[in-house]
Amino acid sequence: MAVPAFLDTIEQTRVSLWLRESESVFGFYFVLLFHTFGLSMLVGASAVLDLRILGVAPDLPLKSLKWLFRTIWVGFAINVTTGLLLVLAYPTKAFTNPVFYIKLSLVAIGLITMQKIKARVFDDSVLSEVAVAPRARSMAIWSLLVWTGALTAGRLLAYTAPYLVYGVRGG
Amino acid sequence: MNFPHIHLLLNHFPVIGTIIGLGLFLVGLSDEHQQMRRAALILFAVLAFVTIPVFISGVGAQVVLRKAAVSNVMIQRHEGAAMLALAFMEMTGAAALAGLWESYRISRPTRVNSAAVLLLSVVTVGLMARTGNTGGDIRHPEIGGLQESTGTEGRLGAFVHTFEPEPDKISNLMVFTKWTTAFLMDLHFIGLVLIVGTIGIYNVRILGIAKQMPVAPLHRLLPWGLMGLGINVATGLAVFVGAPEDYTFNAVLWLKIVALGLLGANAAVFYLAGIFNNVERLGPGDEAPFPAKVVAMTSLVLWCAVITFGRYIQVFQHSIAKSSN
Repeated sequence: MAVPAFLDTIEQTRVSLWLRESESVFGFYFVLLFHTFGLSMLVGASAVLDLRILGVAPDLPLKSLKWLFRTIWVGFAINVTTGLLLVLAYPTKAFTNPVFYIKLSLVAIGLITMQKIKARVFDDSVLSEVAVAPRARSMAIWSLLVWTGALTAGRLLAYTAPYLVYGVRGG
Repeated sequence: MNFPHIHLLLNHFPVIGTIIGLGLFLVGLSDEHQQMRRAALILFAVLAFVTIPVFISGVGAQVVLRKAAVSNVMIQRHEGAAMLALAFMEMTGAAALAGLWESYRISRPTRVNSAAVLLLSVVTVGLMARTGNTGGDIRHPEIGGLQESTGTEGRLGAFVHTFEPEPDKISNLMVFTKWTTAFLMDLHFIGLVLIVGTIGIYNVRILGIAKQMPVAPLHRLLPWGLMGLGINVATGLAVFVGAPEDYTFNAVLWLKIVALGLLGANAAVFYLAGIFNNVERLGPGDEAPFPAKVVAMTSLVLWCAVITFGRYIQVFQHSIAKSSN
């Protein structure tokens, strides 16, 4: 399948060129740094919620962790912003790589799982530990697996790209 | 100041330090001297950190000395010994941190932990001595340890050597398979998430955000953060060993190591100056004392610095000149 020409058009815009080729430390790697901060908030907060549901730190009241869902959304917002900039810098690299779509799907599944956990465990006005047990536990395990998968897919983007930029083979 | 200087300055600490640590630990095995055992565990953890810059500066010294009249065979032998010693030093450090955690949770380390620390530290002392000897042979052939021409040595030395990695082979393995690096970097990010999730949330609570969380139960998440740290030390060192020259002559890697050292010092202040005991008592809604907030803020800033430096390592490869003076 031919690589669509509009990807080349995006790559030739000034923003894309600057992000890709600037020697400034505030260029591409700065965006990548904030993408890392964002993912550590998003996945870090999710992982702590999952671990708590799975029985780690049992004396920590579930209710006191509800604020972490805000951290998840802040992390997600940072990563949508920085993610768009990263795609702007290397659109061909992203859109021609199947792993990119796998990553986006896993992020979506991860967020949906967290919302389900929130609805089932944290929006319950009673928040009783007993009721939480089996179903929430399986959701927490799913969540850990999906976030690990999303993280792995994201990392693999650097190693699996068929193109670096329009017309230039990668890998 | 160049890499041979730094290496010569730091390299005695792991060799002598592990002997002192083992001595303290043996005395501390008796019930009257619990504090000695704790001191030994702290010392092992510190040495596990210090050994990392010793190892990295050793690679730097090797490159700088390439032009000098020293034997490459001897250096390779020394580096192989150092890799094995480093691996056991890090395992000893990990076991020591686990022991410190147990002494917090159940007032003293378990027997299994003490047995593990004892075994690992005895092996480490031996391997460190061997590393020191093979290192000394590079510059002092007149002492006459290893015979370079024949490569012969004592029976025990030959036995240990069969376990020592060949540095060149490892470097090639990493450089030629990008998937090894990809896998290690993936684990490095999982470790990062565990650290930020657990230690980050703990610090944020002490600073006064989300005060509804009681502090002591939150601290129970720490082993997961330590596990993340362990994963990242292991994967970080493995990636380093794969392409040592890309990282040794990298100013940002050294900044990252300095930041990690400062984090260790910050943690020491937190646990040893009584601040930890003060925050353990904090229930939902309680405000942490000011010194605790300073330590928590320092920790957050330093972890951000570690992540920032980590991200920029790739950009600053070969940022330190390889000249010999």
